[in-house]
Amino acid sequence: MTWLLNSGIFRPAAETAFIATVVLIAIHFAVSHPKFDDVFGKDRGLRILDPLRLAVFVFTLLFVEQKWSFVGALRKLVFLLALLCFVVLLVTGFVPMFFLGKMITGWWMMIHATAAPVFAGCLAILAVLWADKNRLDKNYCPWLNRILNRQSKNAAEPQKFELELKICFWIILFLSLPVILSETLSMFYLFGELGQEVLLQLHRYSTLLLALFAIIYLYLAALNEMEKTAKQGHFKENQL
Amino acid sequence: MAKTLFLVFVLMTGVVVGAEEKLGDVPDGSRSNFVHLIPMLAEPLPGKEPDQIHPGDEPVLPFSTKATCGACHSYDIITTGWHFNAIDPNVKSGRRGQPWILADPPSATQIPLSYRPWPGVFRPQEIGLTPMGFLQYFGRQLPGGGIGEMVDTSDNPEEILRAGITGKLEINCLACHNISPGVDMGGASGYAIQIIRGNYRWAATASSEFAYVTGTTEDLKDYDFRAPFLSSDTKLRPPAVEYYKDSFKHNDWARFDVSVEIPKQRCYFCHSNADVRDGKNEKWLADEDVHLTAGLKCMDCHRNGLPHDIIRGYPAEPCDSNNSLAAVSSCQGCHTAKNNGPPLNGRFTAPVPKHIGLPKVHFDKLTCTACHSGPWPKETTVRTQTARAHALGVARAKKGGDVLPHLTYPVFAKGQDGKIGVFKLLWPAYWASEANDNVTPLNLDTVKGATSKVIAKSALSKERDWPNLTEEDIAKILTLLVSKVPAGSRPVYIASGKLFSLNDAGKITSAENPAASPYMWPIAHDIRPSAQSLGVRNCKDCHSTDSPFFFGNVSIDTPIKPAKEARGMASFEGLNKTYEWCFAFSFIFRPWLKAVTILSSLVIAGVLLLYALKALGFIAKAVIGDDS
Repeated sequence: MTWLLNSGIFRPAAETAFIATVVLIAIHFAVSHPKFDDVFGKDRGLRILDPLRLAVFVFTLLFVEQKWSFVGALRKLVFLLALLCFVVLLVTGFVPMFFLGKMITGWWMMIHATAAPVFAGCLAILAVLWADKNRLDKNYCPWLNRILNRQSKNAAEPQKFELELKICFWIILFLSLPVILSETLSMFYLFGELGQEVLLQLHRYSTLLLALFAIIYLYLAALNEMEKTAKQGHFKENQL
Repeated sequence: MAKTLFLVFVLMTGVVVGAEEKLGDVPDGSRSNFVHLIPMLAEPLPGKEPDQIHPGDEPVLPFSTKATCGACHSYDIITTGWHFNAIDPNVKSGRRGQPWILADPPSATQIPLSYRPWPGVFRPQEIGLTPMGFLQYFGRQLPGGGIGEMVDTSDNPEEILRAGITGKLEINCLACHNISPGVDMGGASGYAIQIIRGNYRWAATASSEFAYVTGTTEDLKDYDFRAPFLSSDTKLRPPAVEYYKDSFKHNDWARFDVSVEIPKQRCYFCHSNADVRDGKNEKWLADEDVHLTAGLKCMDCHRNGLPHDIIRGYPAEPCDSNNSLAAVSSCQGCHTAKNNGPPLNGRFTAPVPKHIGLPKVHFDKLTCTACHSGPWPKETTVRTQTARAHALGVARAKKGGDVLPHLTYPVFAKGQDGKIGVFKLLWPAYWASEANDNVTPLNLDTVKGATSKVIAKSALSKERDWPNLTEEDIAKILTLLVSKVPAGSRPVYIASGKLFSLNDAGKITSAENPAASPYMWPIAHDIRPSAQSLGVRNCKDCHSTDSPFFFGNVSIDTPIKPAKEARGMASFEGLNKTYEWCFAFSFIFRPWLKAVTILSSLVIAGVLLLYALKALGFIAKAVIGDDS
């Protein structure tokens, strides 16, 4: 417990975790990404522009499928807002520590504390709107169904990375609780010095995990879209 | 006489334990008080043993603490103590402390002085103060030793001659250790008055409860204190000692009511603080430090052994002090000390604070004293006085709230440790020469020669407040000082945080200058009760848009009329006032933030619980084989 409270450990731990995640994603992408010819088309011109095409492709994912209804519009708006807040929180929370060598303070803190409740609200709305969509109701694990002697009612074929995405969704939702509550409870007259320290470390470590899972989630979502695009036909050249 | 010499011989040599240790250097561990029924010994002739004082002696000599106390306690070791070692350049000066402040209303001067090399103070010799000159101003509240014993090493030959008459100001052990209610430090014929009269040799005797000293060395040109005084000048009254009838006991010994359990009143003589309220410093309006109210003595925290390396009590002190208790005698030492070994906190039944609801960042950015010391902050800082700066407790010292020097507090400022603490502040005001951006204060006598020609006596305050000084007066004085400053430099006046000088047209100009920066020293006392600490009501004690902690004003003291200015607290804290205002303003929305985040947490928890129960239901059905 004492080592956990040592704030000097968190920075190297966080740096290692972020670097490891990025490296693993890069390796995974290199190994398992769909062929760019399938996604962007064979007649796409200069191959050297592929990283740019990829960036544009990922950016277009922000324009998630939207249904023409209030809920559909709300879901899209909330998702984009949550994404924006996530980036803001990530930058304000980790940049001071990684690049300035100091804990979050000053204007960083102000921006962080402004984005935090918006993110929490968005997450709550997304939890309600996306929970049902993320039910683990397909035949993700045939071996498990065989053991349980069950036949899944939802016979639709799971997409690539769908299970991983759904697991990420629930983990993110679960981690958001300690992230939000650790900071909120510290603002009440409930915890003393040790309690405050524990809450701070809980916030840090749960935030780190949440950030990593969110990055993995976004990566898998992008990969999933690339797979879909590759199956449906290449990405429209004119979108570049 | 033979008996006396034998006794002295026994005391000086026979009781010495080991090579250098004396009888009183080695404690036996008893917590009881040792009765000091001992012979009073007079200052010895050079190379001779000290003589015992008897009631029938003619003249009656003052006792020497160096001889009397030093017979059993190693005086040379004691002189290395914090109260006596300021002149030793090898001693670590530690955290910035309260300076001696020379306040001279006729020359519109208040300047911080110290023999310790704290940044922002000047050496007394820089303004022409000889050791004897220093004692004349400040000896009243010096416990002797140090500079007091250097009066015969002055650069001034006249002062060396005079030192033979006044004697040296030895360490006055009784100033602290005398627990008798009759001890007289500031009375009409007490210790302080003797020093002002130049009776250094007699000062300790005058402070005791069994002697009375009259007379003065002031006008004496030639005087041997051991010989009867013979002079045709009847106006001269050399110092004379009268020991009270019952002072001499068995063998003409005297009983000194001394103890290491020093009562707070002894410390208060030099370390009293008094806030000025409505122009007065009524002590009944102010509470004592909460530790003293709880029954502690100053010495419980400010401990020392024979070397008198008294603990000052700041967190970084273990780096500066050899005192083994320095690490556990700061606020944290008693209240929050954590280590892997035996618990160290809770000494003197110190409560370990819980600091409920206080985010950890406060401990990184604030000293304990920031929230717990000094008066509750108001919109503007208040005037305060200290014993050393204002001769509190000294008979005939000018009383009143306007007496110079003008000290103000509580000032929240960033200290040497990088944390925001609470400070007392002095705006220095002095005449100086400036060359190549170096500002050097001028000799006080030189300054007085010029200021007396411009500042009329009628302009002086009877309250020892600032004289009525205008910018025109400053210009006149600076013009008079042009010929007094070294070649290549120009005369300037430092006041109100600015440097005043004459431009080429002979007009006065002023500008900010580092040399005009205020001198601040951190305070610890008086500590308020925890129920009155900052933040006890809520965060808005500090984090509100009008809180004195961030947005209070520090009044700028100046003799220049009319000028009433103030500087924002945030500038002393090294903080961005705009940011602090925005941050404080955001606390209006904090309840909303709490509501949104708690509501969000409840929704998320609800969703998680709902789907977890659904999953559990699925598993339960699967286990029992229900396929419905």
